[in-house]
Amino acid sequence: MPMVEPFLRVERLCKAYGGLTALKDVGLTLEAGGFLCLFGPNGAGKSTLLKVLATLLPPTAGSVRVAGFDLEEHPEAFRAQLGLVSHQSFLYDDLSARENLEFYAALYGVPDPSVRAGELLERVDLTHRAHSPVREFSRGMQQRLSIARALVNDPSLLLLDEPYTGLDAHAAIRLSRQLRLLHEAQRTIVMATHNLERGLDLATSVGILARGKLVFLQRRDQIDPEAFEQLYFRHLEAA
Amino acid sequence: MTLPRQILLLYRKDLRVEVRKKESLIAMAFFGVLIMVILNLAAGLDRRLQAEPAAGVLWVAILFSSVLGLGRVFAREKENNCVAALLVSPLSPGALFAAKALVNFTLMSFSELVLVPVFFALFGAGLQPGLPVLLLLLALVNIGFSAAGTLLSALAAGTRRNEVMLPILLYPLCLPLVALAVKATGAAFGGRPMTEIRDLIESMAAFGLIYAAAGYLLFSHAVREA
Amino acid sequence: MLKRFDPFAVLALVGIPGAAATVFFYAPLERTMGVVQKIFYFHLGLAAAAFLSFFVACVAGVLYLLRRQRVWDERGTAAVEVGVLFTTLVLLTGSIWGRPIWNTWWTWDPRLTTSLILWFIFTACLILRSAVEQEEKRAVFCAVMAIVGFVDVPVVFLSARLWRSIHPTVIRSEGIALEPAMIVTLAVSLAAMLILWRALFRLRCSIQRQENTLLDLQQQLQR
Repeated sequence: MPMVEPFLRVERLCKAYGGLTALKDVGLTLEAGGFLCLFGPNGAGKSTLLKVLATLLPPTAGSVRVAGFDLEEHPEAFRAQLGLVSHQSFLYDDLSARENLEFYAALYGVPDPSVRAGELLERVDLTHRAHSPVREFSRGMQQRLSIARALVNDPSLLLLDEPYTGLDAHAAIRLSRQLRLLHEAQRTIVMATHNLERGLDLATSVGILARGKLVFLQRRDQIDPEAFEQLYFRHLEAA
Repeated sequence: MTLPRQILLLYRKDLRVEVRKKESLIAMAFFGVLIMVILNLAAGLDRRLQAEPAAGVLWVAILFSSVLGLGRVFAREKENNCVAALLVSPLSPGALFAAKALVNFTLMSFSELVLVPVFFALFGAGLQPGLPVLLLLLALVNIGFSAAGTLLSALAAGTRRNEVMLPILLYPLCLPLVALAVKATGAAFGGRPMTEIRDLIESMAAFGLIYAAAGYLLFSHAVREA
Repeated sequence: MLKRFDPFAVLALVGIPGAAATVFFYAPLERTMGVVQKIFYFHLGLAAAAFLSFFVACVAGVLYLLRRQRVWDERGTAAVEVGVLFTTLVLLTGSIWGRPIWNTWWTWDPRLTTSLILWFIFTACLILRSAVEQEEKRAVFCAVMAIVGFVDVPVVFLSARLWRSIHPTVIRSEGIALEPAMIVTLAVSLAAMLILWRALFRLRCSIQRQENTLLDLQQQLQR
C-alpha cells in the first residue's frame, strides 16, 4: 500500500472529563473528498469527537491531523481548514443575514467580505432576505445561513454536529441536497447525526460510536442499507 | 488579521447591535437614575448631602446600573453559541477580551452622559467639582470596572444563573475601586486640588492595570469553558 | 485514598490545647486590656493562616490552568474553604476583642476592612463553585476567581488605608512592644494555628478527592 497521508487522520484519541471517559482510543482516517457519517446514541461521544476535531476541546491523549497539520503543533493552520455547523446557529439574531456573513468573513481575513457574503447568500438561496435580521428567519433558513457562515473561509473540512435537529421535513430535504452539493464540490465532510436514513444516503464512510468507542467503521459501498438498522443495533448492544 | 483590527471588528459588531436594540443603554440609564432617587430617600429627604456622601450616591448609581449592561454584552455571544464559532476562527481570545472591555467602557461612558447631569441636578447644590478631575475619575473607574467586569461576565455567563452571579462575583472585587473613587470624588466635590488626591488616582489606575492584565491573560481560559 | 493517620492532625490535637494552655497559663496578663487581650494570640495566628490559604488558592489556580490536573483543583478548593473559615474566625475574634477595647463590635479599620473584603471575594468563589455542575468548567472558573481575588489584595490594602482617616487612633499595633513571654506565646499559637490549618487543608483535600472518586464511580455505573 502506498504511504499517502490521508486527509483526516485521527489516532488513538482519548478524551476524559475527570474520571469519565468520553472518547477511548478512537482512530479513523478519511480520504480527501470523503463523507464520514457518525452514528450513535446520545452520550456516545459524537459531539465530543466533533468538538475535539473543531479544536474546542483539547484531547486528553492521541493525535489529529488535517491536511498534514497537527492539531496541537499547528492549531492555527489546522483551524484554517475547518468549517463548523451545529444545531446551534452561531449567528447573531439582531444582525441581518448579510451582516452576519460579512462579520465572519472579515474575521477570517477574507479580502472582500461583502462580495463573499453576496456569493454565499446566493449559494444558500437567501439573497431575497439578505437584509432581514436573523431573528425573523425560520429554523430551516437559519440552518442554511449557518452553512453559508461555515463556508466563509472556504474550508476543506466541514464538521456538522446534528445539523438535522429541529428541521421540518422540507428543510431537512433541502439540507441533504445542500450537503450533497458540497460533497460533490470535493469538500471533506464529517457529520454526526441520529438520522440513519439521511446519513446513510449521503455518506461514503460510516462509523458507529458507542460508549466513547468507535465500534464500527466501514465504507458505505460495503454496507447493505436494508440491513443497516439491524447492524446498528447489534453493535450498540455488543458495546 | 492584526490584533487591533480584530478588536475593531468585534467592537463595531457589538456597537451595531447595541445601537439597533438600545436595550442595555436605556436600562442602565433608567436604573441609574432610579437608584439616585432611592438613595436620596435613604439620605433623608430634605437634607443637603455633604461632598463625600454625594460622591457615594453617584458611584453607587453608576456601578449598580453598569452591571445590567455588562452581563448582556457577553451573554449575547452565548445566545446561539457564537462564542464557539469565534473560538474556531483565527481570532485571539485576548482580542475578544479587549473588544468586550471596550464595549463595556463605551456603554458605561454613555450611560454616565445621562447619569452625571441628572446627579448634579438632584444633588449638585454646594458641590464644586473641577470638570477635568471628574472626567479623569470617571475614566479610571470605567476602565477598572469594565476590565474586571468583562472577565467575570465570561464566568457568570457559564453558570446557570448569569444575572445573579455577575454582581456576586464582581462587587467584592470592585469594593476597593469604589472606596477609592468615593474618596477621590468627595475630595474633588469639596473643591480640593488634584494634587491632594494623587495617590488615590494612582491606586485607581493600578486597579485598572491589574485587571486589564489579568483579564487579558485569563480570559481565554474562562471563555473556552463558558 | 484516605489515609487513616495524618501526622498533622495528631500534631494539631496536641498543638491547639498546648497553645491555649500557653496563652492562659504562661503569658502574662496585659495591664490595660486584661484577659481580653489573650484572644489576640489566636486572632493573629488565624489571620496568618487565612492569608496563607488564599495565597495557596491562587498558586493552585495558576497551576490548574497550566496543567489541568484534578489535584490542583482539589487543593485550590480546599484552600478557599479553609481560608473562608479562618477569615470568618478572624472577623469573629476581632469583634469579640473590639467590643470591650474599642467599645464597638465593628469599626472600619483598614485591617478589618481588608479581611472583610477578602471574605467577600472568596465566599463569592464558593458560591460560584456551587453554581456550576460540569467538573472541568467549575475547576477553571474557580481557578480564575481565586487568581483575580488574590491579585486584588494589593489594591485592597491601598484602599483600606482610606478608612484609617475616619477612625484615626483606634488601632495601635500590639506587635511592636511585646514582652518576651508574650512573643513566645505568640510564636506557639502561630505555629499551632498553622499546623491546624495544614491538618484541615489535608482533610478537605482528601474529602474532595473522595467525592471526585465517588462521582467517577457513579458515572461509570450509569453508562
